[in-house]
Amino acid sequence: MDAQVGETRGAWLRRAAMLGGGLMSGGIVTAALASFASSSSSKQDVEVLNFALAFEELQADFYARSLHSVSLKGEWLQFAQVVGGHERDHVAFLRHALGSAAKPAPQLTLTRAPSSFSDFQRLAIGLEDTGVALYNGQAGNLTPKSLASAAEIVSVEARHASWARDLAGEVPAPVATDVPADVSQVKAQLTQLGVQVG
Amino acid sequence: MVDGGALPPALAAVDRDGALAEAAANAAAGGSELRRASRPTRRGLIGLGAGAAGLGFAGRARAAAGSTTGSQQDIGILNYALSLEYLQASFYSEAERLHSLHGALADQARIVGGHERAHVSAFQKVLGSQAIKRPTFNFQGVTEDPDGFRRTAVAFEDLAVEAYKYQAPRLQSQAFLAAAIAIHSVEARHAAWIRRLAGVLPAATAFDQPLPPRRVEALVASTHFVVAAPDMASHQAPKFTG
Repeated sequence: MDAQVGETRGAWLRRAAMLGGGLMSGGIVTAALASFASSSSSKQDVEVLNFALAFEELQADFYARSLHSVSLKGEWLQFAQVVGGHERDHVAFLRHALGSAAKPAPQLTLTRAPSSFSDFQRLAIGLEDTGVALYNGQAGNLTPKSLASAAEIVSVEARHASWARDLAGEVPAPVATDVPADVSQVKAQLTQLGVQVG
Repeated sequence: MVDGGALPPALAAVDRDGALAEAAANAAAGGSELRRASRPTRRGLIGLGAGAAGLGFAGRARAAAGSTTGSQQDIGILNYALSLEYLQASFYSEAERLHSLHGALADQARIVGGHERAHVSAFQKVLGSQAIKRPTFNFQGVTEDPDGFRRTAVAFEDLAVEAYKYQAPRLQSQAFLAAAIAIHSVEARHAAWIRRLAGVLPAATAFDQPLPPRRVEALVASTHFVVAAPDMASHQAPKFTG
């Protein structure tokens, strides 16, 4: 049944284009949802999605470099390849949606590639859990249309987190409700993982 | 290594009438899968009716959207979420009670079951007297053996992710949105966990898609897991007198 399995790159790029068109015109709040989250706006959507873009680029970089720096085998290798591909797709989606407004910020830099397998495990779990907390923390700041797009990504990050945890022998879903993180909390978590936050 | 294929076993586990496969085929053509899912058999009609009653609150929420306040729409969505949580919580609790599972699968059922029961309690607390009651379930034997359990759990968890994803942007209240989105990602963790235990790729695609309630209801109805609707009379808003 996985309808998603057959989804083509073209299909999600079309969705990105639709989201992008809405962001540019500013007309993305439909009448039915007009009362939603009065604090959200297209301008704020751009800010939040650029934050997400910076994070997705960090993740894509992490997996690309890990495949060279660490000798991964078996299902861990499969994990890094599959998940790395997803992160690259998330980057492409967000860049496409943001168009000329794509300016990833804050700057998130992986200062070094993982040096060992245990280092890779720790960072993979840390980054994926942080990704879930980041998207969940921004949900209320997004207009419904952008939230719908972010929701397509956050559950995939949660699947990645669960997969990495299970592979590492940790509980894949440690709590009944995931704890969100605001921008400063995300920055703090990333700093702890050795990411340089600009 | 985990098999990257689609999930026909999960589908087969819940698709006892073949209704879901038919619905999926019809969805592309824009047909009404709920109508097409029903069969002119007594069993089918009872199952569908009970399913529609147990999970039919989203329909009410949709109807309400145009004419009533946002908070009433939110209550419809929360009751819809509660009905899905009842389904999941009862499923895991029963598998645990029957001691059908061992090892990693038993651990998954214990922990995930605990989460689903916590979600039920949270929605019941928020909804108070407006909370729907727990329907009566008959899991048709799938809680009695590991294979049936695994296939059904995969289907339930992926379905929950799709259902929450559809509803979250439709919630008006920031507090309810925060709760729904925090549960949504946990359901995705559950889904990846049980998929790996079932030998399928935990994260099959880069983007998870939402599923509208009409299709969720059709899928659940096709399982005949919901055998008795909750008592509808008790969901009326209290009358204030004097």
